[in-house]
Amino acid sequence: MAKLRAAAVSFLNAWPLTAGLERSSRIDLVLAEPARCAEMLEEGEVDLALVSVAGLIKGEYEIVPGLAIGADGPVQTVLLAGEQPPATWDEVFLDTASRTSHVLAKILLDEMGVRPRYTPRPALEGLAAARGTKGALVIGDRGFDVRANHVLDLGREWVQRTGLPLVFALWAARPGRLSPEDVQELARAAQHGLGIRTELARRFAAERGGDPEKYRRYLTQRIRYGLGPHEIVGLEKFLSLAADKGFLPRIPLRFADDVVRSRRIRRQVSVDTALQKGADGERLDADEAEALDEKAPLLELGLAADARRRALHPEGIVTYIVSRNVNYTNVCTTACHFCAFYRPRGHDESYVLSRDQLARKIEETIRLGGIEILLQGGLHPDLGVEWYEDLFRWVKATYPTINLHALSPEEIWHIARTSCISLDETLERLVGAGLDSIPGGGAEVLDDEVRRRIAPLKCSTDEWLVVMRAAHRKGLKSTATLMFGVGEESRHRAGHLLRLRELQDETGGFTAFICWTFQPEHTRLEPGDNSAHAYLRVNALSRLVLDNVPNLQASWVTMGGGVAQAALHMGCNDFGSVMIEENVVSAAGTTFQMDSEEVERHIRDAGFVARRRNMRYQLVGAAA
Amino acid sequence: MISTLAHRALERAGLGPIRDKVLNGERLSEEEALRLLEARDLAAVGALANHVREKRHGDLTFYNRNVHLNPTNVCVASCKFCSFARPDDKHASEGYTMSLDQAVEHVLSRRPLGITEVHIVSGLHPDLPWDFYLETIARLRKAWPELHIKAYTAVELHFFAEKFGKSYGQVLGELKAAGLTTIPGGGAEIFAPRVRRKICDDKATADQWLEVHRTAHRLGIKSNATMLYGHIERLDERVDHMARLRRLQDETGGFQVFIPLAFHPEHNMIGKAFPKPTGYDGLRTYAVARLYLDNFDHVKAYWISLGERLAQTSLSFGVDDVDGTVLEERIYHMAGATTPQALSEAQLHRMIRLAGRVPVERDSLYNVLKVHADPALTKPARLPVTA
Repeated sequence: MAKLRAAAVSFLNAWPLTAGLERSSRIDLVLAEPARCAEMLEEGEVDLALVSVAGLIKGEYEIVPGLAIGADGPVQTVLLAGEQPPATWDEVFLDTASRTSHVLAKILLDEMGVRPRYTPRPALEGLAAARGTKGALVIGDRGFDVRANHVLDLGREWVQRTGLPLVFALWAARPGRLSPEDVQELARAAQHGLGIRTELARRFAAERGGDPEKYRRYLTQRIRYGLGPHEIVGLEKFLSLAADKGFLPRIPLRFADDVVRSRRIRRQVSVDTALQKGADGERLDADEAEALDEKAPLLELGLAADARRRALHPEGIVTYIVSRNVNYTNVCTTACHFCAFYRPRGHDESYVLSRDQLARKIEETIRLGGIEILLQGGLHPDLGVEWYEDLFRWVKATYPTINLHALSPEEIWHIARTSCISLDETLERLVGAGLDSIPGGGAEVLDDEVRRRIAPLKCSTDEWLVVMRAAHRKGLKSTATLMFGVGEESRHRAGHLLRLRELQDETGGFTAFICWTFQPEHTRLEPGDNSAHAYLRVNALSRLVLDNVPNLQASWVTMGGGVAQAALHMGCNDFGSVMIEENVVSAAGTTFQMDSEEVERHIRDAGFVARRRNMRYQLVGAAA
Repeated sequence: MISTLAHRALERAGLGPIRDKVLNGERLSEEEALRLLEARDLAAVGALANHVREKRHGDLTFYNRNVHLNPTNVCVASCKFCSFARPDDKHASEGYTMSLDQAVEHVLSRRPLGITEVHIVSGLHPDLPWDFYLETIARLRKAWPELHIKAYTAVELHFFAEKFGKSYGQVLGELKAAGLTTIPGGGAEIFAPRVRRKICDDKATADQWLEVHRTAHRLGIKSNATMLYGHIERLDERVDHMARLRRLQDETGGFQVFIPLAFHPEHNMIGKAFPKPTGYDGLRTYAVARLYLDNFDHVKAYWISLGERLAQTSLSFGVDDVDGTVLEERIYHMAGATTPQALSEAQLHRMIRLAGRVPVERDSLYNVLKVHADPALTKPARLPVTA
């Protein structure tokens, strides 16, 4: 097999991404200046290049996911320098080595109200000429040596102005050249390179002179190599500012994992055969799940799912729980496009519930026969693990019978980050303080292409699953969810279900699955197919694909009692919770309400026996 | 042809013989209709009803654009399920009666909205003269010649006959001459005398209701038929109701559509004792109606009462008509319906298309005005089986 040809810059900051490719059997690497890398990619001399962001304008390139060169603060190697302050400059010399830095310099000067003439000039020449009302842009390793009266670190400047990280360069490939294995090879090389940064710093110092410790700090503290949700938002901000100001055309971002996945060659699948397999409890593969999602008629999916439900729950019981959804805070930093509930910190309508308020809510719940509190909230930047430990200990000490079903994976990550402790330690401390089980919220659609679009600041698919895996290993049970109807496609929904099934095979920690559709009122996201028809189809499909998840809940809160009853005849065996309080979906305009009597009437009317359960789906109380 | 899954599910539910009759085009008995209503196999019964629906109409799903006119809510009847009627038109009781000018203007002002039909239903007002009813029709007909005027339920028509000393034939003949084109299906409630005595014992009886429709059909006036379900009636009384309609339809062929209506409990006398029927009850009723009423062309879900989500779901359970973009509905909203007053045509299209169906704008006689095929449709729409 021919090796992939790749080009990359020789700057120190690229070494961690390229060092691991030196002996690669898949990828041949050549080193060049940034502008030359972009040119080689454009001319097709290479298939893949580590290019500056501005280099993306030349073609419909596919970006390698997860990897980038960027910064989250001062960076040292992208500088504007001059004898006088920038406000006085009437001409700026642009280092000819890079294009992205030109754009960055222009954006930042423009934001400062400085609009000089720009003249391309090699770095050292430009720096030498930066006297009086002239400034110079210096990039790359030359930046380490710049001495001038006025130096503007563009990394620091950007982060201060936007609050977002900056992305300088990424791996981009000509369309259709990358295989998933190539993407893996690049990720592997990066893992290797990032692991030997101290060694790389020493090597650089030996070649070029200078303090190896300074270079080590640069590689480990100044430059960031991830391309996560925050970085993508920063990148999008950069591109949109550049386009608004006319420095670059609009550049749509295309990620290689999206393209590689959609290029997956699908097997022809007979819908009827797949339905019959599903109804008989045989495992469906990705192609079958996707074909059913695309083509199977509602009632056929429903009949197959009903057959599965009858096999798994032959006794004709439909369960529900009396629980209260308590949202301890609405302060959140995530700003998901589909959410109408959150408020920024300091907003007039923001709150954190006090102990008194919580006590009232819990006591009311107990009076109404409730046995569980579903405690969830926004990602409050000030609440660390101690706050949660105190809270849980207090709940458990004051109300020992209450099951504490709390904190979605997103919140658990947030607590770990805010408290600077590991995920495992976070979970251990929360369990130690009284956490009984965790809800499966925040999964949305477990596909990073979709997540980047609808909730760019939320945890990634892998991060969500990592929390669930860790929690299950510690003996916690959880539910799993899917919120769809946000414009995703069949492959995304099918992929979501398969990821859940994979983890369930490994841990068995999911007690139940619940899906619902996106409720768009008061949110900024345009809905896709979020109809009741789609809900019933996807719900039935979930019953067929999730052959290892025992229970399926019907979502009457979003769909209404009637559609939820139909779901009981198409795969569900549980009617969720009598909601004493619910704030998130109702903020998005959906306000179905039922008490236990009404829940039981719906279950009975649909032909089932209604029974109360606990979070582990054990029956409690007498038959109704 | 139904799928193997549906075939087996019906077999397992003990509905094999009914399934075979439906597939052979044989008529179901009242016992079989009751058996289907009682079967707690919604998906299986739904699949069978859907088979019949698709054989008749393919994916076509009908709606029209109409305006409701309720000239008065003053009513001498005392139906216990009604939240609309008032004893007089005094301010204190929230009663109202439009003048003839107001009534006509109410409709004419909606002309720019592209509507094709007016649906007129009133209370049984003790004092309004015959001319009021006749003139409403005549003036609308004169001012708007192409408007389809669907007016006065059988209960009102019976009331007119008694109050003004006319036969049903005279009442209907005069109205037809003034411009009336069809009559709505309201006032049927549940035909069983046991139920009628309890919930509406002072208005037209079942036989009178049916006789008004028989007379209309003989005069060449098409009509609709409703059933108010989900209050005190038993399932066998629903079947009895449909059986009477099926018999009259065999005789006249004048019914266009069957419309099951869910009882709404708020602000009326029996609501406290009887909560609103669940969506499940609606879906099984539609499905069984589609299977049992083999001589009715259409089954309609009134989305105003069901809500958009359930109405969309009903399109897989035998329903092929979702009513129109209804402007200013009063009767259900006074009984607590929280649905929006009107769905825009675009919303209606979206709801129908997302259920895999094709929206068809119809006129009041179910002539196709326009098939709104999805421009982005990847598969051809299934059309009715005409063979």
